[in-house]
Amino acid sequence: MSRTLVGRAAVAVVAALAVTGVAACGGGTSGVDGGKIKLSIGVFSDFGYDSLIKEYQAAHPDIEVEQRKVKMEQHHTQLATQLAGGRGAADIVAIEEGNVAQFRQSKDKFVNLADYGAKDLKSQWAAWKWNQGTADDGAFVLGLGTDMGSLALCYRRDLFEAAGLPVDREEVGKLWPTWQDYAATAQTFTDSTPNVKFVDTALNVYKAILDQTEEGYFAKDDSYIADKNTKVSDAFKLAAALGEKKQTGALAPFSQEWNVALKQASFATTTCPAWALALIKAGAGDEAAGKWDVAAAPGGGGNWGGSFLAVPKQGAHPKQSYELAKWLTAPEQQKRIFKETGNLPSEPAAYQDPEVTATVNEFFNKAPVGQIFGNSAESLQPTYRGTKDSKVTPVFSNALARVEQGKQSTSDAFTQALKEAQDVAK
Amino acid sequence: MAVETTAPVDDRRWLLARLDGKYTPYLIIAPFFLVFGVFGLYPLLYTAWVSLHDWQLIDGDQGFVGLDNYAALVADANFWNALGNTLSLFVLSTVPQLPAALGLAAVLDRGLRGRMFWRAGVLLPNVISVAAVALVFAQLYGRDFGIVNYLLGLVGVDPVDWHTETWASHLAISSMVMWRWTGYNALIYLAAMQSVPKDMYEAAVIDGASKWRTFWAITVPGIRPTILFTVITSTIGGMQLFVEPQLFDPGGTATGTGGSDRQFQTLVMYLYEKGFRLFDAGYSATIAWVLFLVVLVIAGINFSVTRRIASKG
Repeated sequence: MSRTLVGRAAVAVVAALAVTGVAACGGGTSGVDGGKIKLSIGVFSDFGYDSLIKEYQAAHPDIEVEQRKVKMEQHHTQLATQLAGGRGAADIVAIEEGNVAQFRQSKDKFVNLADYGAKDLKSQWAAWKWNQGTADDGAFVLGLGTDMGSLALCYRRDLFEAAGLPVDREEVGKLWPTWQDYAATAQTFTDSTPNVKFVDTALNVYKAILDQTEEGYFAKDDSYIADKNTKVSDAFKLAAALGEKKQTGALAPFSQEWNVALKQASFATTTCPAWALALIKAGAGDEAAGKWDVAAAPGGGGNWGGSFLAVPKQGAHPKQSYELAKWLTAPEQQKRIFKETGNLPSEPAAYQDPEVTATVNEFFNKAPVGQIFGNSAESLQPTYRGTKDSKVTPVFSNALARVEQGKQSTSDAFTQALKEAQDVAK
Repeated sequence: MAVETTAPVDDRRWLLARLDGKYTPYLIIAPFFLVFGVFGLYPLLYTAWVSLHDWQLIDGDQGFVGLDNYAALVADANFWNALGNTLSLFVLSTVPQLPAALGLAAVLDRGLRGRMFWRAGVLLPNVISVAAVALVFAQLYGRDFGIVNYLLGLVGVDPVDWHTETWASHLAISSMVMWRWTGYNALIYLAAMQSVPKDMYEAAVIDGASKWRTFWAITVPGIRPTILFTVITSTIGGMQLFVEPQLFDPGGTATGTGGSDRQFQTLVMYLYEKGFRLFDAGYSATIAWVLFLVVLVIAGINFSVTRRIASKG
């Protein structure tokens, strides 16, 4: 979900405190008070739970719910320290897709939701979403899926027009059935308008390609395979070639400079999961309304992001926590959250709902985002995330960045990345 | 604590007063040591204990490994890189900073118009939230649309990629540190300068000493303990540099490597990356202890060097 620069700043400051040991523990607030059961739920950015929680409290007079909102990076670090300390975590915690594999490794710190009947809910979710939240071949249910990111490609209509490319979203989608076609389009674009970058960063192209393969850095038995998986090197080379040809802006995704570049219209396309629409809109500003549009992503479908609700074992009320998590992630609630915040539902009953599919986004030239993102998620074959995926990923991101910045050749960067990844994956 | 001397001395009273005089000072300083013990000494020792284990942040102790972490650290190229960056940033930011603060304090010590305004003004950068400072500096040092590159362009210099080039990033981060701390140190110097006896200056004027000579012969030796103090605190702060370079990193804590090539990753950033992103608490604790020793050594060197320089003046 949203990662803003101010958020990053806050993260760094809190990190500084954590390093000096000040923010060691938050202290749990859950308990029974005056006959009321107090539950806490820890989320990051906007999960759209404000009004839902009020409604839940009204329907359950014996339960009081406290919502804690923290920025994303900080949220997961904080959760890790709270699990380590054995106290301070909320009764229900949100975990983002990129981090869930890492916490799966410490699943004994969480309640197995299957003990409370979670397996009966399995059919609610897209199969891949359900699987991401489970461990031990589905025997251990770690978390219930909230939203999903899905994947599309956002492009600037005026810049495409200037480069002599089609602007209609259907036709733009037809330009790039595969990522090779996308790279070819980049070449056409650069040939006619060499002063504008085709894409903001090679990093996100790489991530999108890799997330469309069944196995990335790790095989399904969690063994490290990045050094022999040609899918990894192919994706790396394709993205790095964009960087070597200076067709990327070499921007850190969602950074301050990325926002400035959006405002200055200095790049023409960017990979966009559903949650990125709000970031693009905020960065580009109102004067860019109608200039951005949403097309299908190359390679057929994809997912980036989305979260799960898990229940740490240290909480006092696992049963009540599970009930609340179950209610919050049910299709009716997901649909309402979509209408309120735009967070895309991860359950067919919600994302195939006519009300959702009919939703258009005014800022993005009235693109039917409900439909585009729903279709993309439907055809999705998600990649397997190893427990050490979040440790290996930055190594390859840095390598790509070095190529974009002209510091290293593609092969040198890739060789160095493999060596470093080997170290963190062992 | 006054003991009545006119009245006949009462034994018990006398004893109480003696005890009072003997032990009260200890009682008064006790809370500090108690708090220090809980929040300083205990974490310090516990960190040492953790550093001798294979310790994962969430899953805890995975077994005693002796000095293995320390051996791995010595062979770790990333550690030496971080140490080099830390020293470079420390030298680049502190060496110009303290003389600048001294000069600033000397100017403020004169009878300026609106003295209070200037004195409060130099502290302002230190009061402003570091997050806000980082936002502004990131804007100044932007690659494509930054003001610094725009100004360089006016004099015909090619744009600099401030976040990517090692030296450029060190200069940018040092400028942020200097901006925040020069005024603070200047105020400390100023306070010390005002306690230098005025008659010494008068004597110097009568002897016909120049302003420059007076400054070096009277002011600087007069505030020597304060200079030593700022050198020590700046050393400790500089070696633990974290927030400024971390906020300067467009990748944020998600990568935490201080640039794609670790070009401005400091020791504390490396500690954070290992402990809180890679969850290797044992290794992180090892870095913390080695950092502690490095700070002790460098502070010791600075102390002796500064003492010699200051006493020469």
